[in-house]
This record gives sequence, C-alpha cells and structure tokens, in this order.
Amino acid sequence: MIDLDLVLLDMQARTWRDVIGKLGKLMLDKNDVKDSYIDAVIAREEELPTGLNIGNFYVAIPHTDSNHVNKSSIAIATLKSPVEFSEMINPAGKINVELVFLLAVKDPKQQVTLLKSLMALFQNKQLLLKLKSAKDKSEVAILLKDIVI
Amino acid sequence: MKKRFKVLSVCGSGTVTSSMVALKLKDALDEKGISIAATEAKPTEALNLISGGGFDFIINTSPLIAGDYGVPIINAVGFLTGFGEEEFIENIMAVINEINNK
Repeated sequence: MIDLDLVLLDMQARTWRDVIGKLGKLMLDKNDVKDSYIDAVIAREEELPTGLNIGNFYVAIPHTDSNHVNKSSIAIATLKSPVEFSEMINPAGKINVELVFLLAVKDPKQQVTLLKSLMALFQNKQLLLKLKSAKDKSEVAILLKDIVI
Repeated sequence: MKKRFKVLSVCGSGTVTSSMVALKLKDALDEKGISIAATEAKPTEALNLISGGGFDFIINTSPLIAGDYGVPIINAVGFLTGFGEEEFIENIMAVINEINNK
C-alpha cells in the first residue's frame, strides 16, 4: 500500500526540480530518505533523466542510488500543468510530464514485488489517466491498491 | 541450442529501472523455455563489465557511453513502458537466434 501522506494532487510546479524538491521533502519528513536524497535525485535527473512516453502520455520516475534511502517508498504528484522533463533514452528530448512517481528503493534485489507492481502500473495507461484526474486521495488509494511496498 | 543467456541490463542508477526490465524479460523468456542471468549496471560501468566477458547482449533504458561493446545492444524503453513491447521481444529473439546459429 502506498503512503497517502506522500501523494500530492494538482501540484503547481514550474520546473522538474520543484517537483522533485516538493515530493522529496515529504519523504524526508517521514525519514524514508536521507538528507542527501533530494540533491542526489536532482543530480541524477540532470545527467540521466527519467521521463517516459506511455503512448503519448508522459510520466517521470525520478530516483537515485539506494545509499540515499532509509526505507523504500513512493511519492506521487499529479501536476496541475505539465512540467518539462527530459526523456530517459534520449536526454536531448523534452516531454511534458503530467504524473511523477518519485521512487526511493532500498534494495532492488529484495523488492521484486514492488518493481513488478510498478512496471504493471506503467503498462496500464487507463489507470495512469485516472490517476492523473483523481480528485482526492481515496481515489488514489483505490487505483494504486496493487502497489506493494 | 543455448538456452541460458547472460544479460547486462543498463539504466541510469544501475538499480531500479534495470532491475524492472530484467525481471520482466526473465518472465517473458521463461515462457519460451529460455533463462537469463541479468547483471544491473550504470552506463559508466557497462563497458568495464562487458570487457570482463561472458555477456551475450545488453539491454538499456539510458544511453550507453560510446564505445566498442562487442555484443548486441537492445533498447528496452518500449519494454519498460509497454509501448513497443512486442518489438523488443522480437529483437531479443532475433539476437538469441543469431547467437544460436553462429
């Protein structure tokens, strides 16, 4: 189950750095990540971005090395207006992202279920669209009930 | 016929995305009676690991650093997003068949 305290609906942000900073702060408040986490995610995003094209719907999955993480968790933002991220496979390409999943993964080898459930999420564009238009967190909880952290 | 393949899975952090696509590929190939052993790596680690030898092919979701990898490289972003999944598996099977026909 995802932590609904880590969900922000209709976030207003101007840059991808804002999005990561705001979501990362939520994780930091819960002590899920270390003080170094936000800067590490931003540095990684600059060099190796995480924007993904899910059939003309754009999401981003910023994350970083597990040594900045205390406990695996996921923070989610739906964006009021799309924010520009760069594309994972082609960092020169800019995309207008509408949904951001900030990932903190402690040990990928131990988290097969989490990674598989995340993958399943990206395969389901309808679900992503519903998530994007969710009006309250209880909707998000229902939509993401299959995410196992 | 070879049925076990060593795969280098490359993503930006060398952990999260590369593990996801490796897990998914493992499942997809299991159905075809093919097994893979995947090693996850960052782009900066890939060339070094490959030169250690033994890898059959590379799958990647972040760009690789330019260099001579000496094995087929298959873009796995479509596999990650599900948009381009069949094409990715076709590419993988073409590489596997080529290895087996050598």
